[in-house]
Amino acid sequence: MSGTWITTRAWLLMLPLLIVMVAVIGWPLADTVHLSFTDAKLVGTSGSYVGFDNYVRLVTGNAFGRTLYTTTFFALVVVTTEMCLGVLAALLLKQQFRGRTLLRALMILPWALPTVVNATLWRLIYNPEYGALNAALTQLGILSDYRSWLGEPGTALTALIVADCWKNFPLVALIALAALQAVPRDVIAASYVDGANAFSRFRFVTLPYLAGPLMVALVLRTIEAFKVFDIIWVMTRGGPANSTRTMSILVYQEAFSFQRAGSGASLALIVTLIITVLAVAYGTAVRKVAGSAA
Amino acid sequence: MSALVVDKIRKSFGALETLRGIDIALESGEFLVLLGASGCGKSTLLNIIAGLAEPSGGDVRLDGRSLIGVHPKDRDIAMVFQSYALYPNLSVRRNIGFGLEMRKVPAAEREKAVLEAARLLQIEPLLDRRPSQLSGGQRQRVAIGRALVRHPKLFLFDEPLSNLDAKLRMEMRTELKRLHQMMKTTVVYVTHDQIEAMTLATRIAVMQGGQIEQLGTPEEIYNRPATLYVATFVGAPPMNLLDAVATGSGLQVVGSDTAIPLPPALAAALPRDHAVKLGIRPESFRAEGGGLPLTLTCDVTELTGPELILSGSIGGQRLVATLPPRTRAAPGETITLALDVEALHLFDVESGRRIEAA
Ligand SMILES: Nc1ncnc2c1ncn2[C@@H]1O[C@H](COP(=O)(O)OP(=O)(O)OP(=O)(O)O)[C@@H](O)[C@H]1O
Ligand SMILES: [Mg+2]
Repeated sequence: MSGTWITTRAWLLMLPLLIVMVAVIGWPLADTVHLSFTDAKLVGTSGSYVGFDNYVRLVTGNAFGRTLYTTTFFALVVVTTEMCLGVLAALLLKQQFRGRTLLRALMILPWALPTVVNATLWRLIYNPEYGALNAALTQLGILSDYRSWLGEPGTALTALIVADCWKNFPLVALIALAALQAVPRDVIAASYVDGANAFSRFRFVTLPYLAGPLMVALVLRTIEAFKVFDIIWVMTRGGPANSTRTMSILVYQEAFSFQRAGSGASLALIVTLIITVLAVAYGTAVRKVAGSAA
Repeated sequence: MSALVVDKIRKSFGALETLRGIDIALESGEFLVLLGASGCGKSTLLNIIAGLAEPSGGDVRLDGRSLIGVHPKDRDIAMVFQSYALYPNLSVRRNIGFGLEMRKVPAAEREKAVLEAARLLQIEPLLDRRPSQLSGGQRQRVAIGRALVRHPKLFLFDEPLSNLDAKLRMEMRTELKRLHQMMKTTVVYVTHDQIEAMTLATRIAVMQGGQIEQLGTPEEIYNRPATLYVATFVGAPPMNLLDAVATGSGLQVVGSDTAIPLPPALAAALPRDHAVKLGIRPESFRAEGGGLPLTLTCDVTELTGPELILSGSIGGQRLVATLPPRTRAAPGETITLALDVEALHLFDVESGRRIEAA
């Protein structure tokens, strides 16, 4: 059996899958690239070639910079908070106590809910007239008047961040909890005998075993947070005054609200590029962390 | 005053009683080996001494101070684990110095102590490596170094050599013995390897079912096993046990007409017709020379190189003898071997306890 035949057979076996992938990913992608160099509208003409006009106009326009900033801010805050909350929750749920199994199951709930359900839930909580948050804050005497949390540019993004954290920290917690199970008991025991306090134990014993899995969680969550759409769309549609507009919302607005298919495609490609860069950078980091922990 | 006292230690996990009253008193500088089959509670006892588990009852004292309720780090005890338990992302240097680092020992002093331990264990060239870059034997040296560096009052070892291959295990055994002779620190060492126990220990505690069957020097354990369990657990091949009955002046091996005369003092301890187990170590047989003659039927012979292992029977009861390699024995034939009367062990069938001369 020669090596070339094995290689040929491997290609033959992969061929059907390759064809499907080209059909469902490659072709739309190529079409998007083509579209991004035209001034096509969503309906009507197929547009004419305009070169890099779309890209230049978008990147120099004022919506792009602000949206990129909002998105980055959202992703940064959300991911940091979720990582911290997730690890804390995992450490807590690792302890022995009554009701631990129940609590572990309950914790998954926010993450298991469909995003739309979750978003609707939080809209109710933030509701300016009968929302639970207003009620709670006024009853505690922290707030004198009901506020429209999602209706004010100053609070809408924060409100969204809270909702997203609540939904997604369980994923981090779940990954961290699984990783914690892998910390060898003897190493923990050795750290007790060596006189390590809780912080040193976490830093030198637990964290090395958490690092790899947490890196994976970090990659997943950053990329997801960067392309966030559904939770924002349901809760604020990018408003008020574009204060919660992220890149994906901008793509949607450009392509569908303003019906500019051409520049919508350009924007989509820019987002794809940013995410690809992130993914590659993280991928390298993951390999490094995993390598040093082995 | 004894250095380490384990006083009526008991431990239950729910309804399961793992330790059922353990008593040990060790002089300073002793090397105690806890020997026993898997699951007999050796690690549990060690963890209780280290403070990693709470006993259900009893007391542990080190140099007169009770350790119950004392945090592991304040016990002045160092422990070496079977799995090495090194900190994966710290260098060998920091692994060894970790206990000192946590105790806020100044860096210069720490470095000196680490270097000294590394020199003793011949791992100086490895100091800047990570545990993942070491072989099993090197990892075990680092784990031992981590314990040495603290100069504790007591060392605990939980099967430290069982993850090593046979050759390395022998080397490390000798190394441990050398270290102990030099440091003279009290050691409690868990193993289920009887060779390790015999060679390292100043005293051995044979454990079974959460109790100590016998606590004694290796010679006592080997030459005068207190119970049937100890008799069969220590020694390879294990001691032969034959059913026999007392005849007044000696013993009669059941199923045969082989009569074994006993010293009067021992015979006097046995009422007539009393059923006993007669224990004979395979290595107490001699192919020729004076002593008590014993005739058996030879079934199988196996030449291992330095010795010939002969499996045979007396009156249908199987037994094994290890003999010089040039012994002439053919399967199916009878052979007469010689025995010393001192090499006979008698056990009560019911209690399993050793029968001593009256
Ligand atoms: N945390 C625990 N919970 C419940 N039972 C336990 C626990 N730790 C040990 N045991 C039980 O106690 C008994 C003794 O365990 P231990 O680990 O002390 O055995 P060992 O003599 O060290 O065995 P080995 O040679 O296999 O290491 C076992 O039957 C074990 O199942
Ligand atoms: Mg054990």
